[in-house]
Amino acid sequence: MIRFRAPVRRDGDGFRIALSDDEAELVQRLLTELSELLDQPDHPLTGRLFPVVHPDDAEAEAEYQRLMRPELVESKRAAIGAVRAALDGDGRLDDGGLVAFMQAVNSVRLVLGTMLGITDDGDGDDDDEGEADSYEHQLYVYLSWLLEWSVRAMSNRAPD
Amino acid sequence: MPVGERFRHNWPVPTVLEPTRVIDPDADEAVAPDHPWIVIVWNDPVNLMSYVTFVLQKLFGYSLEKATELMLDVHHKGKAVVANGTREQAEMYVFRLHEHGLWASMEHDE
Repeated sequence: MIRFRAPVRRDGDGFRIALSDDEAELVQRLLTELSELLDQPDHPLTGRLFPVVHPDDAEAEAEYQRLMRPELVESKRAAIGAVRAALDGDGRLDDGGLVAFMQAVNSVRLVLGTMLGITDDGDGDDDDEGEADSYEHQLYVYLSWLLEWSVRAMSNRAPD
Repeated sequence: MPVGERFRHNWPVPTVLEPTRVIDPDADEAVAPDHPWIVIVWNDPVNLMSYVTFVLQKLFGYSLEKATELMLDVHHKGKAVVANGTREQAEMYVFRLHEHGLWASMEHDE
């Protein structure tokens, strides 16, 4: 009998990411691919990771990006690094670690969403999308599922 | 000129914004002169509603109800003003929203 286990759950003072070996390997590989994309400035697939901040002021926009974009790239790298370390270890994360996990997973989702050309609100599993059976789409749905469980774990920890 | 360099390191933890200081994008209220910048979150088809709500609670200290209300504004109206402040504050908020993958920009509220 297969027992369902939450992939992200509270564990003592923190959280635990409990993935199968195959899943952990998959997430690690996706994070590697994300890192490689971050190495390439202005890659079209990473556009959603770096939104325009001053849409009506080109000068302010250029100045902001000059100052802050490297910081944002570094932040995303740091999140990836924290997740990799946790997955290489026992999967335990503190609050900041789970936030890093959510940020990194969501970064991959944003890249996949761009790849898939997702334009409808919702979970992206529209019946009329030709890519619904594609590998990328299945990854997207899987990562959405991980993110939902992460939010749930975090919310249960500090209910309002 | 942005002063992003000032808060590149050791950013202070964002203080809780009073809900009364949040500007309803539909309201025609004047912005306090010392808070002339607004931070806007735009609707996008990838970010999960639960995640957006979580991020708004985490970054701005909103209650679940307030964060959900803002998230639904983003979802249904296409955007919502989630914070306001000085230029430096707005830049910090936008940066932190981008760290989480939300689609955020800022505007000078004339």
